[in-house]
Amino acid sequence: MSASKTTGWHHLLETSADDYAEALRARDAAINGFLEIDTDRRRTPGGVSPPDDAPPDGAGPLAGLPLAVKDNIAVRAFQLSCASRILANHVAPYDATVVARLVAAGMVPVGKTNLDEFGMGSATEHSIAGPTNNPWDTDRVAGGSSGGSAAAVASGMVPLALGTDTGGSVRQPAAFCGIYGLKPTYGTLSRYGLVAYASSLEVAGLLSRELGMVRAAYEAASGVDSMDQTSVGLPDAQARPAAAVQRVAFLGGELGLDERTAQAYRRMREVAVGAGLTVEEVELATADAMMPAYYTIAAAEASANLARFNGVRYGERPIFAENPEALVRHARTEGFGAEVKLRVLLGTYVLRSGFQEQYYQRAQRVRTAIRRELASVFANHDLLILPVYPTVAFRHGETDLTAFQQKLADRFTTLANLTALPALSVPAGVYDGLPVGIQAMGPAFSEERLMRFAELVAAELPPERPPAYGVPLCDEIGSGGGA
Amino acid sequence: MSYRSYVGLEIHIQLATRTKVFCGCRAAFGDEPNTNICPVCTGYPGALPALNEEAIRKSYVVARALNCLLSPLCEFERKNYFYPDLPKNYQISQFASPLGRDGFLDLEFRKRRKRVRIRECHLEEDAGKMIHAGDQSLLDFNRAGTPLLEIVTEPDLEIGEEAEHLLQEFRRIVRHLGVCDGNMEEGSLRCDANVSVNVDGAGLGTKVEIKNMNSFRFVRKALDYEIDRQQDILERGGTIVQETRLWNENRDVSESMRVKESSNDYRYFPEPDLPPFRTDDAFLASVEASLVELPAERTARFVSQYGLQAAQAQFLCEERGIADFFEAAVAAGAQPSDAAVWLMGDVQKLLNRTGATLTESPLTPERLAKLLVLLGSGRIHGKLAKQTLEAVFTDDKDPDHIIAERGWEQITDPGAIGKIVDAVLAEQHEAVAQIRGGDDRPHGYLVGQVMRATSGRADPRLVQQVLGERLSLQFIQVLSFGGAISGTRRDDGVVVPGSLESLTRSLRDDPALPAGIRYDELDLGGFLSEEVTPRDWALLIRAIARHVAVGDTSGIVIATGTDTLSYTAALLSWLFGASLPIVLTASATTGDTAESRDNLRHAVQAAMNRTPGVTVVFGSRRYPAVNLKFERVTGESAETAFRTWNPGGVPEPGVGLWTNLQGATGSREPSQPGADLPDVEMLTERLEGAARRIFVAKVFPGMPAGALIALIDAGIRYFVLELYDTGTASVRETPFSLRHALEYAHQHDVTFFCTSQQEADVDFSTYVTSHDLWRGGAIPMGKLTTESVYARLLAILLTGAAGDGSDPKAVARMMESG
Repeated sequence: MSASKTTGWHHLLETSADDYAEALRARDAAINGFLEIDTDRRRTPGGVSPPDDAPPDGAGPLAGLPLAVKDNIAVRAFQLSCASRILANHVAPYDATVVARLVAAGMVPVGKTNLDEFGMGSATEHSIAGPTNNPWDTDRVAGGSSGGSAAAVASGMVPLALGTDTGGSVRQPAAFCGIYGLKPTYGTLSRYGLVAYASSLEVAGLLSRELGMVRAAYEAASGVDSMDQTSVGLPDAQARPAAAVQRVAFLGGELGLDERTAQAYRRMREVAVGAGLTVEEVELATADAMMPAYYTIAAAEASANLARFNGVRYGERPIFAENPEALVRHARTEGFGAEVKLRVLLGTYVLRSGFQEQYYQRAQRVRTAIRRELASVFANHDLLILPVYPTVAFRHGETDLTAFQQKLADRFTTLANLTALPALSVPAGVYDGLPVGIQAMGPAFSEERLMRFAELVAAELPPERPPAYGVPLCDEIGSGGGA
Repeated sequence: MSYRSYVGLEIHIQLATRTKVFCGCRAAFGDEPNTNICPVCTGYPGALPALNEEAIRKSYVVARALNCLLSPLCEFERKNYFYPDLPKNYQISQFASPLGRDGFLDLEFRKRRKRVRIRECHLEEDAGKMIHAGDQSLLDFNRAGTPLLEIVTEPDLEIGEEAEHLLQEFRRIVRHLGVCDGNMEEGSLRCDANVSVNVDGAGLGTKVEIKNMNSFRFVRKALDYEIDRQQDILERGGTIVQETRLWNENRDVSESMRVKESSNDYRYFPEPDLPPFRTDDAFLASVEASLVELPAERTARFVSQYGLQAAQAQFLCEERGIADFFEAAVAAGAQPSDAAVWLMGDVQKLLNRTGATLTESPLTPERLAKLLVLLGSGRIHGKLAKQTLEAVFTDDKDPDHIIAERGWEQITDPGAIGKIVDAVLAEQHEAVAQIRGGDDRPHGYLVGQVMRATSGRADPRLVQQVLGERLSLQFIQVLSFGGAISGTRRDDGVVVPGSLESLTRSLRDDPALPAGIRYDELDLGGFLSEEVTPRDWALLIRAIARHVAVGDTSGIVIATGTDTLSYTAALLSWLFGASLPIVLTASATTGDTAESRDNLRHAVQAAMNRTPGVTVVFGSRRYPAVNLKFERVTGESAETAFRTWNPGGVPEPGVGLWTNLQGATGSREPSQPGADLPDVEMLTERLEGAARRIFVAKVFPGMPAGALIALIDAGIRYFVLELYDTGTASVRETPFSLRHALEYAHQHDVTFFCTSQQEADVDFSTYVTSHDLWRGGAIPMGKLTTESVYARLLAILLTGAAGDGSDPKAVARMMESG
């Protein structure tokens, strides 16, 4: 991507913050990607100014860029609702480490984006604020759970957004909206400040139309964080997997893809072959066990992670209760949505004493088996290429996919979460008016290799803009044009 | 049916770390509510735990000290339960792989050695506190996230007192290690227990958990209550319900909290936010470096290395700071035994009075050593040493500085004292003439004059010596304390009490005794030995105490009777220890016989040899004062009348319990030694009070338990119980055994101190009936005789060595340390 296309964002907040805020609200009316918008809060004296080590405005690739943050990541002085009634009106008292690092690199949080409550969903429909619409077709979902972030980027409202990816929540909405979505190696982006859903699976992720911006933001935000002891530093460049791509494995077998996705997947293979890569096909023996294992672990961890929401210290609670126990019961009964309750109950069920061997521990053994199988794939191949989702963005409600089918459809994305490996959702063209994303997965710390592959694809299939949002906001605001 | 009880403890300690276990908040007790909190410890959305290495290291140090196998991988788990004071509604804890397991703690309790197995040690975070105030519930999260180490023992304990003992030993250990202050009242040390009772030999019974035991005493009471409760149920043919019970400290009962069916399922699973902590060599080295000598080892070393008595070593090793202080003082030149005596006595008293702790007081080990060296070298005498110590506390200066400043240095130059003595003698013609004429009464007056002339700075022993030299005299105090030795035989052959006058007169003329001994005679009453009352003892004790304080005599001879000689001798020995040569004697015949004269002469000779300590002379033999048995009544062979039982078990004379009473009256005038002695009325009152609470009983076939129960109802709180053999007695289910008396005694905080009718070592180790006695709380007194035990009990209650005597546990501790 040429740099000139992004320069329009750099001085926008400096010169036209109010116009930008107004334009954001206007454009978001049809999208519903944002839960909260404030372009000034982190710039005015009353708000929190950037830390001292922030590069001066205009310096660095991220300086001055507006940042949208999924509303399950803490941004000081912004709401942190997780799209849940139980956290309505909760304001974060601190910055998540990834946010603090992007702010230090010069970015300015301008709003919090919509999501499925606590990240539990694939369509951004389980939200107290209602569903987010896909910029390519507002009758369709933007994907989820980071649907707000993906739609905000795809509709040209922000250049970069933060999401979280527990089972595909960054990659799938990125694919539905035709942008890049990076789920990095587990631990390289600190989880401090991410409202936990399934701690051992989830990571913060980056969404953008510009690969260069994904790269710059990943560099700025990654690294060890003393506040998250599961965080890891990037190994030295020599110790990291080489960035060069030679041999790629395409996931084979019966994948159950819809027509447009199948078409994009074939196209991707042609691009790879055309670029001179060695292409082979692999199948995964552990594929069938993946979804049960994923949902067992995710639900188990969720049942504990969401236990803290009891209406006592923050968030919504009943005005009156007979005793503390009743207060907790009412707060949770009224505060959580149906999907959250379903997963918490499921998690409680699989962790019962006497049943752990049958469910939780078995799921952990499956997870180990999947890791081993992936390790053997990467012993022989630089990358594994596979679909992000079996379908293109589906229509709102359960018109196209039932809730259960939506869960099963996570089978291509959960692989990276169960194995802690990096995966990038790469735009693979627009088919019959809807974009399709294809996923590249690599060994740990191979993010740069994933981006090299994406560059190679972009040469043939550059990301497109949705017809209704052909002009990004920075270019629409007359005075904001920088270049 | 014989029952066995099984008690296991779950002990929680708050680790003394600067910050909480998973965040950087201060871990402090007593701050304003909700001031030491952050997003992490209040479970804010998005916050993550980060393990504090200080907490994990201290945990491993405790596990290591408890001889646990240390886990190379320390993994955390989430324990899930909802409670408003638990911010995340799960507790980060350890379940599948605790950091330490399979350890042990060696205990010695009531002469019984036991290895209590430690099942595991695991680290977890504490919860906050919920306070109910009216119609509101308030939460304070300052405590939330402070590191808590849980130690779980196997059910190797049997009774409440034993559990209390373990807990106290554990407290000493963690305090020594510096990982916890062990304060049960403030909750930095907490204890839950599980209790089961079953027919002996049938293994563990149904387990009941006991909670809410907020002091060491409540642990003991709650566990004993629970053991009794379960045993009662089993005896009535009932079944024990598995449940959790709460101790109600106001009502002295436990109450059911919940039964098993409704107990929590904690749904443990691995904590995904914390990677396992791996112990590398550097970490293990730092754990080893933090290990210090533990109190039990140190106590044993103090006895072997410094020659201290067990009780002294125990006192010093109770606190690491005191033990360190002691060793530093010894290193700085103090005699170990002196340092121990002073630390336990005068220093402790000053600390109690000023409310300071030893380590933060102006007294340093160097200062104490210097003081004791000054005292030992005779530069100051005992009374001034005490005042110098007080001045160190008030002025915060070195002892030699204080002495120089105040002109307190003792006059120890015999030449200088000689001059003063000569000057006094030159003035006191009358007194000198009186003494030369054979009347020794002015002797004390002359000593007083010399002391006054030197403002109390002259070394009293030297004054004594010089005065004796000048007058060519040695002063022996002879006290007449009843008995046939001072009595006469009436014409009808019956012995009646009398006075010693004629005897001492005969001593003066005795060619076998060196000339120049002057006998100061004090008649404490004409009575027969068997008639001794607490008041008589009070008079005797007061007289001895005065001489000890004033230092006007080089030895004391007490003529008394044979019947109660063993009691009086032991009583004086426990009280006065090795302060002065004190020799008791008696005779089987009246004072006008050759036997009486011979015995008295031997006693004087013994008193003259200046070895401090209480001894008994009878016939040509000399006996220690403790464990003396009056075995035979023989006219002719005095050699077999008395015998020392278990001679190997007779303790060396020590400091004497009397020091506990010194200064009790508050007078602190240095120039008048002895002015602050308690008076006879007070001593009488105390001895009578003690005597009213003690009873000596002997077990015999058919002993009615009801009689002992009646004695308890009549106010008896301490029994000296003579058992058979190494401590056996019937505890069968019959009114003619100790069984019901033991149970009744236990409920009424009555203590049995057990001796033997034979010359045996009572340790309850041999017979099954002994085990029942041990479980029933009876205290084995080892090799001590009934007379010695009774005398010790009296001495403890008289001197307040165990407080006011109302805490039977403190009394028992003092008894056991004898």
